Amino acid sequence: MGAQSIFVMTLSTTIGSLSLHTPLLTGSGTFGHDASALSFLNPDDLGALVLKTVTPQPRPGNPNPRMAEYEGGILNSIGLENRGLHYWRDKVAPELAQIAVPVIANAGGHTLEEYVEMTIAFSEMEGVEGIELNLSCPNVEGGTRFATDPIALAQVVAACRVVTEKPLWAKLSPNVESIVPFAQAAEQAGADALTVSNTFLGLLVDWRTRQPQLGRGFGGVSGSGIRPLALRFVYESAQAVEIPIVASGGAASAKDVLDFMVAGASAVQIGTAAFRTPDLLSKIAQDLRALLKEDGSTIQTLIGSLEWPSL
Amino acid sequence: MNEARCTQAKVFGKTPCGPDAFLLELEFSAEIGQIDPGQFVMLSLADGQGPVLARPFSFYGQTAPDRLTFLIQVLGIGTQVLQDCPLEEFIQVTLPLGTGFALPDANRPLVMIAGGVGSAPFLLCAEQRVQQGAGDQTFFIFGARSENRLYDKQAFASLAMHSRFATDDGSFGFSGNVIACLENGLQEETFPENAVYFACGPEPLLKAFARLVQAKGFEAQVSLETYMGCGFGACNACPTATNPNGPLGAWPWAKTCQDGPVFSLDSIQL
Ligand SMILES: Cc1cc2nc3c(=O)[nH]c(=O)nc-3n(C[C@H](O)[C@H](O)[C@H](O)COP(=O)(O)OP(=O)(O)OC[C@H]3O[C@@H](n4cnc5c(N)ncnc54)[C@H](O)[C@@H]3O)c2cc1C
Ligand SMILES: Cc1cc2nc3c(=O)[nH]c(=O)nc-3n(C[C@H](O)[C@H](O)[C@H](O)COP(=O)(O)O)c2cc1C
Ligand code: FES
Repeated sequence: MGAQSIFVMTLSTTIGSLSLHTPLLTGSGTFGHDASALSFLNPDDLGALVLKTVTPQPRPGNPNPRMAEYEGGILNSIGLENRGLHYWRDKVAPELAQIAVPVIANAGGHTLEEYVEMTIAFSEMEGVEGIELNLSCPNVEGGTRFATDPIALAQVVAACRVVTEKPLWAKLSPNVESIVPFAQAAEQAGADALTVSNTFLGLLVDWRTRQPQLGRGFGGVSGSGIRPLALRFVYESAQAVEIPIVASGGAASAKDVLDFMVAGASAVQIGTAAFRTPDLLSKIAQDLRALLKEDGSTIQTLIGSLEWPSL
Repeated sequence: MNEARCTQAKVFGKTPCGPDAFLLELEFSAEIGQIDPGQFVMLSLADGQGPVLARPFSFYGQTAPDRLTFLIQVLGIGTQVLQDCPLEEFIQVTLPLGTGFALPDANRPLVMIAGGVGSAPFLLCAEQRVQQGAGDQTFFIFGARSENRLYDKQAFASLAMHSRFATDDGSFGFSGNVIACLENGLQEETFPENAVYFACGPEPLLKAFARLVQAKGFEAQVSLETYMGCGFGACNACPTATNPNGPLGAWPWAKTCQDGPVFSLDSIQL
């Protein structure tokens, strides 16, 4: 009891019907396919564990090299390597019911029917508290189709909405000119929240070898270099819809998390930054408690509190 | 097994080693606990400076219950910032990671083959063998371009086991590469038929090693290097192609950071 539980209270947030201990989430594909990396964290510090995308069929992923680095972040083309739904249902899901943190499963697919299949499957799994639709992977053939056409996106979200009562999040692509039509389409189709956003399509080359640094050529950029780009999309989405926003893109510190929340996010996913420091989310949770105490503010009053300059 | 954890350790010593490498000694705030030879750590600067990702290094030596050493060849920015890190500054460490070597029983001979900094995982292997009283059944072949790149060779030469050194330019020991040295030893019947073979080094060395031991039908393990994003199984950036008929099963990829970096040769495709 005492002081500590009060501080834990001050970090709690909600995403629709889901109450989270803290606004700190893992990013899909950056903290594993299962719960094993949780051992680096104090479970009280994590709001939810968002797991790697699962597709109906196994996917071997892309050729090597799959990752490269630059000053502002990394480029990856993992290509959604995963062992498919059957493996996940048999081997991963049963363990998820035992863990202390809510799990958000992430669904991928090539067609509307595949997303629906995944949503039905995740709905039936006891250990899965919410479903994030990955409508935005830049690293698979056709992976961005639903991300770049708001009508196609709305059809997928609507079709998944009718087959689940679990919280349904739509993870949007940043590889668009304006995110607003996509955010609104997902909201109207019944999404409970939006994850904004994913990796930005990019390229790194090696001039000496005259070759791209990744085996597949293009990849997705993540890490602190994309933070201002993600902040813009989070702010614009939050202005355009009523449903909560989960930010994803370049957050690496408590300050970054609060910046995203002020811009309108109700929770923040942390991906790339935790590769170097797998206990980062616990560190950030501690720092968040200290910053909020110092500022005398609460998570709830900060969300969406950005004061835009009047021209 | 000792569960992987994050910690910070102080730079306790930096000793130059050859023209392009150094020994980094780190002091931890508590006893390190069990580590297996062949397991590795991810290192980065604790102050957040340096490249975005941490870098993988094999456990090299243990100088005290709370002190470890790493043999680091300086190649690019990640290794350079470690070399430049002043004494007493802190390094971010994730350890222990991966699957190390499965040492054979003390009464079974072991032949270890290293090229360049590929020697790193073998000091702990060799020390354990000597402690088990198996030094006489332990053979080590250490090769490099020239004598000054036989990093820290004295550490190996002073152990009570059979060490052989090979240099491409003939400046020390056997004249030729480690594979030629291995073939030579096999012809002379220096290495017992029933030995287990370990290798670590550059890819061409490992490929030549694999061809040789597979042709002879020897039991072998190799320590592999791939690009690593996280080192703890979270990112899928470290695939090694598996042998579909091997013990790792039909999935085309193993995670080098978890299933490896040490693999039995029959479980992967080199
Ligand atoms: C499991 C594991 C254990 C390792 N143990 C050790 C060890 O004990 N001691 C040690 O010195 N190194 C070890 N390495 C290799 C070490 O991690 C890399 O050399 C290091 O990451 C290079 O980082 P950098 O930023 O200095 O170089 P980068 O800037 O990443 O690369 C600089 C240049 O070096 C080349 N390069 C990068 N990595 C390698 C590599 N692995 N082999 C050959 N060339 C490379 C690049 O192509 C580039 O041209 C290990 C690697 C793995 C996967
Ligand atoms: C190696 C890697 C793999 C990823 N895999 C997935 C994935 O399977 N599904 C998904 O929705 N997003 C995936 N992402 C995107 C992240 O979840 C996140 O949206 C993005 O990296 C931006 O956040 P960050 O800068 O905090 O990493 C991946 C990112 C990386 C770096
Ligand atoms: S390095 Fe990230 S999974 Fe192996």
